[in-house]
Amino acid sequence: MAKLEQRKRKKFSKLDIVTFIIMTILVILIIVPFWSAIVISFSTNEYYINHRFSLWPGDFTLANYIALFSRGDGLLTAYGNTIWVSVIGTVGGMVVMTMAAYVFSRRFPGRRILFMITIFSMYFGGGLVPTYLNLKNLHLLNTHTGVIMLTLVSVSHIIIIMKGFEAVPKELEEAAKIDGAHDFQVFWKVMLPMNKPTLATYALFTFVDLWNNWYWPMLILTDSDKNLLQVYLRSIVNSASKMSGMAEGSGMGSFSMGIQMACILVVILPVMLIYPYVQKYFVKGIYVGSVKM
Amino acid sequence: MNVTMKKEKKRSKLAIEIWNAKYLYLMLIPFVVWLILFEYVPMAGNVLAFKEYNAVDGLFGSPGVGLKHFERLFSTPKAVKAIFNTIILSLQRIVFEFPVPIILALITTEMRGKKIKKVYQTVLTFPHFLSWVVVSAILISMFSEAGAVNSVMSALGIDSIPFLSDSLFFRAMLFITHNWKEMGWASIIYMATISSIDPGLYEAAEIDGASRLKQIWHVTLPALLPLISMRLILKIGSIMSAGFGQILTMRNSVVSESVQILDTYIYDITFRALPNYGFSTAVGLFKGIINFALLMLANQLVGKLTGEKMWSFEKRKKTK
Repeated sequence: MAKLEQRKRKKFSKLDIVTFIIMTILVILIIVPFWSAIVISFSTNEYYINHRFSLWPGDFTLANYIALFSRGDGLLTAYGNTIWVSVIGTVGGMVVMTMAAYVFSRRFPGRRILFMITIFSMYFGGGLVPTYLNLKNLHLLNTHTGVIMLTLVSVSHIIIIMKGFEAVPKELEEAAKIDGAHDFQVFWKVMLPMNKPTLATYALFTFVDLWNNWYWPMLILTDSDKNLLQVYLRSIVNSASKMSGMAEGSGMGSFSMGIQMACILVVILPVMLIYPYVQKYFVKGIYVGSVKM
Repeated sequence: MNVTMKKEKKRSKLAIEIWNAKYLYLMLIPFVVWLILFEYVPMAGNVLAFKEYNAVDGLFGSPGVGLKHFERLFSTPKAVKAIFNTIILSLQRIVFEFPVPIILALITTEMRGKKIKKVYQTVLTFPHFLSWVVVSAILISMFSEAGAVNSVMSALGIDSIPFLSDSLFFRAMLFITHNWKEMGWASIIYMATISSIDPGLYEAAEIDGASRLKQIWHVTLPALLPLISMRLILKIGSIMSAGFGQILTMRNSVVSESVQILDTYIYDITFRALPNYGFSTAVGLFKGIINFALLMLANQLVGKLTGEKMWSFEKRKKTK
């Protein structure tokens, strides 16, 4: 890459300017909706009606956030539930996935058939109704366990983690085995420490997947005290769009659109905080492992 | 005698191998249990497509009805329309979405300034990590009739555009918002491939007097071609999936009919007052089988084109 950088770099050409302009426009197009959401969430209703789009909240207010948190319809419960589900799901998922990935990176009788069965499940499965009825049979409807189980394992993640394990030099494993380590100890003491960056990345991916999970939680969680954030957000947005013909605002300067945007920002905050750590790794090409497969 | 001895030897060798791998089998148990309970049992549940479901007899006990549900599938105009909608929308996505990350990757690699490039990439990739619930909510608020985009346009003296309530505009919005969310992320794979191109190729091209655009055309694109063709074929292999999450979160009652794909159709018929679970399952199974068949076909095609299949069930070579 350094060489590549050197090869064509003396002075700015037309092409440099054009690429810079295109990229800048794209970046602005990505940022504007977020920025607009932030501005609306800190604006009052009166200001929003006259300024559907502005670069700065004309009359800064926290009313929308206060209104959001004082709705008393379970935002904080949903927040707590989502943290709980995401953390448990990530830990559980990583345990199952790393062990499976390690096993599949070894050679043992039956590996081929087991791996085939695993891969097949990536490309064919039960549809909506069979999955739903299966959860019902297992008494997992309306439980967080059901939600976690459905997203616990991703076979494509297993394969990428497996490739990381395969890349560990055989000598390390052999040395450990000579010292009397069995397979599990090799996994625990050699493989996991050697693959920390990959594992951290996929743990974060899993966490974000769980955090963003809305479809199945929406279908199977019926008790409001089990609600998750994305489902909560969706219900706020849906109820707002149903009332869109009616007058906006609910006193104290807060208003429906402002509350919606505030809710969005509250929901994506953890992802924004985690993102820099994820980003650091995936550009390095860990994700490239998934090109094949 | 010799043969039986060999066989016995082989058998005991296998037993030893299995015994040696005992920890491996133990470590695989959680995954296998999960795989059976949450992948293979639902997969077996597809038999419901040939049954008339009733709650008393349950998933596997309900009486069979043969191909009745499939006959109904092909004689229900709404279902047939959903099938065609799905295929058309998928093909449109290939035209309007597939090339975008490739172009973005080319532009990004041409961009100068390492630091700013990194910042830009960080921004462009971010929306991938948000859910469609979030992205749809933000973008709907911007493009609605009274939203930011229309109000800026009216300030500029342009008539307002029904982005979300006209089926043609709405379809365009599907492509635009999908690109907005995913192009940065999807471009990473292409950029990784570009960065692995031998710099010597560019040097040689430069000595030959090739401009940067010519270098892209004659060096970068050919190097990307195997990846592009592979991903394109994969896309064709999943033609029966046309962006369920996005449509479910973005649609409204005005346009929902025009973007009714198989997945949303299944969703709608399953969660209405009088669902027919057998029929819903049949529609899902139809979709699953077509997708799987296309994918197998795609895999063969990739194998022919690049001499290397994406995955194969042949024995792995011994690696040292």
